[in-house]
Amino acid sequence: MKNRLRVLRAERDWSQADLAQRLEVSRQSVNAIETGKFDPSLPLAFKLARLFETTIEAIFSDEN
Amino acid sequence: MDCKTNNSAVWRFTRRFIVLSLLYGFFSGLSAYGLLLWHPTGIVIWLLAILPAIPIAMAVLLTGRYMSEEKDDFQRAVLVQALLGGIGAILVVTTAWGILENYAHFQRLNILMIWPLYLVFVGISYGIVKARYR
Repeated sequence: MKNRLRVLRAERDWSQADLAQRLEVSRQSVNAIETGKFDPSLPLAFKLARLFETTIEAIFSDEN
Repeated sequence: MDCKTNNSAVWRFTRRFIVLSLLYGFFSGLSAYGLLLWHPTGIVIWLLAILPAIPIAMAVLLTGRYMSEEKDDFQRAVLVQALLGGIGAILVVTTAWGILENYAHFQRLNILMIWPLYLVFVGISYGIVKARYR
C-alpha cells in the first residue's frame, strides 16, 4: 500500500524514531509501514491520521 | 527480539523466555540424574519425565501472553512469522531425519534436542524475517 508518511514526517522535520515515539511503536514498525512492506492495523492508521491532523485516505492509498 | 525498541512487553517476554530455557536445561539434567542414579519406580518416573516439559509448556503460554500484550502490530507479525519459520524448519528436519534413521541407518536423533533445535531455528528465522523488512 502506498503512503505519504515520509513526506508528512519530513514536513514536520521528524525522524522515524520521533514518529515511532509519538505512535508508541518501534522505529522498525515506522520504517516497514513507510516503505510499504507492512500495512498498519486500522487503530494505528487512525492514530497516524490524528497525529498528522488529516484523514486515513490522505495518508494511505490502495493504488498499486 | 528487537532490543532497540522501548517495548516493555518484548523485554518481559525475552527475560522470562531466557529463564524458562535455563529451567529446561536444569530440569533435563535433574531428570536424567534422577532416573539414572535413583532408579525410581511408579509415578516418580513419570514426574521426572514430565519435569523438563513444564518449562516448554510455560514458554508456549508465555508466547501467547506476549501476543496479547504486544501493542506493536509489526513486532507481533515478525514474531509470528519467526515462530512459523521455526515450526516449519523443525518439522522438515525431524521428518527427514526420521526417514534417514529408519531406512538409512543414520544416528538416532535425541528427542530432547528438539526444543533447543527449535529455538535455534526460530532465532535464524527471526533474523531472516527482520532482514526482509530492512
